[in-house]
Amino acid sequence: MKKLSINELKCFRGESLVLKGISAEINEGETYLIKGSNGSGKTTLLRVLSSLIKNYNGTILFDDKDIKDDLKFFQKFSFIGQKNALKENLSVSKNLKLWEILFGKKIDVNSLLQKYNLNTVIDKDISSLSDGQKKCLSLLKLKLCSVPIWYLDEPFVFLDSKNRSILVNEIESHNQSGGIAIITTNTELDYKSDGEIIL
Amino acid sequence: MKSLYDLINRDLKIAFFTSSNFLFTGSFYILVVVLIPFIFGSDSEQLRVIFKGIIWISISLSILLTLERIFYSDYEDGSLDLILQRYNSLEIIICAKFIAHWIINCLPLIVILPFLSLLFQLSFSDIFPILINLVIGSTGMVFVATFVSALTLGAKRTIFLKGIILIPLLVPFIIFGVDPHSWPILIALSMMSFVISIYASSYGLRLYGE
Repeated sequence: MKKLSINELKCFRGESLVLKGISAEINEGETYLIKGSNGSGKTTLLRVLSSLIKNYNGTILFDDKDIKDDLKFFQKFSFIGQKNALKENLSVSKNLKLWEILFGKKIDVNSLLQKYNLNTVIDKDISSLSDGQKKCLSLLKLKLCSVPIWYLDEPFVFLDSKNRSILVNEIESHNQSGGIAIITTNTELDYKSDGEIIL
Repeated sequence: MKSLYDLINRDLKIAFFTSSNFLFTGSFYILVVVLIPFIFGSDSEQLRVIFKGIIWISISLSILLTLERIFYSDYEDGSLDLILQRYNSLEIIICAKFIAHWIINCLPLIVILPFLSLLFQLSFSDIFPILINLVIGSTGMVFVATFVSALTLGAKRTIFLKGIILIPLLVPFIIFGVDPHSWPILIALSMMSFVISIYASSYGLRLYGE
């Protein structure tokens, strides 16, 4: 069973100790929520778990391997941050062409955009889209690679109730196929998780 | 190699899709060079002397104007996180940025230089050593610009501050660039800049992640 084990994780940002000895075990097929107030270190924890921050104490093991020693760990997760990785002055279709390069695969644009009913905006510039539409586009990155771990930083922000349901279904499907999802939030979610990390 | 190619391809596509930005830099360079003969008159000797200096100043300013496009624009919209996530090697990311930035911002200026030289009444034998120096020197300047861009990632859009850091580092290239016999020194400077840039840019990108 592939599990993500976090052991006594400590991390400094500047001179402040942001993560103070976090421990958790997340089994395959589980979703964990990271909760805390603004500035409590939720995004920092996700960035540590996704190896974007490498300067920390403690150990993070996935499938019994330390992620610091696993050179292929970057192929095992998808990180959706609060920024959308979209070029504001380009259209949706041109941004997807750039993602084709980064993900190394041809994208069936219409079928991908259909997920969140974004087919009508395919030729619109990103700057003309609403925050909710941009967030939906950003979440489409999850469909571009099949990975066991999803790190989602405030994924429900800006989403309307219909798109929230779509995302919840996506996360549940991911869990059913053995995937792990770790989601940060600073609001109460109408979502039943398998565990919580409170910062 | 595929990763290097993919990252260069991505930056070239972005430049192609945002061709107005790209044309702005080229236009700025051409405008500076074209205006000079109008200011200094038609004395061909005087124009030949100032031509080399003007070319180097113009390319330095073009590199300064496009500094934000190396890393900052990707950092600002979150694409840098996606790139760091998808490509495990900082060195490959940095080399791809060097190459793409040089192709987009320096190569077109080098290509149009022979045509601009007609305004300054220069022959091909006058232009050739300038072109060689420009190819070598612009490469070194892009290496320097890359690590300045990576080390100042956290600073918001402060082109003035970045200019104060960058321009003095470009001065050695300008000084040796105007001398047609200094190409070995330019090669040494460029190679040194490459090595420093790989380390300094990696440090900057790691600091960004932290």
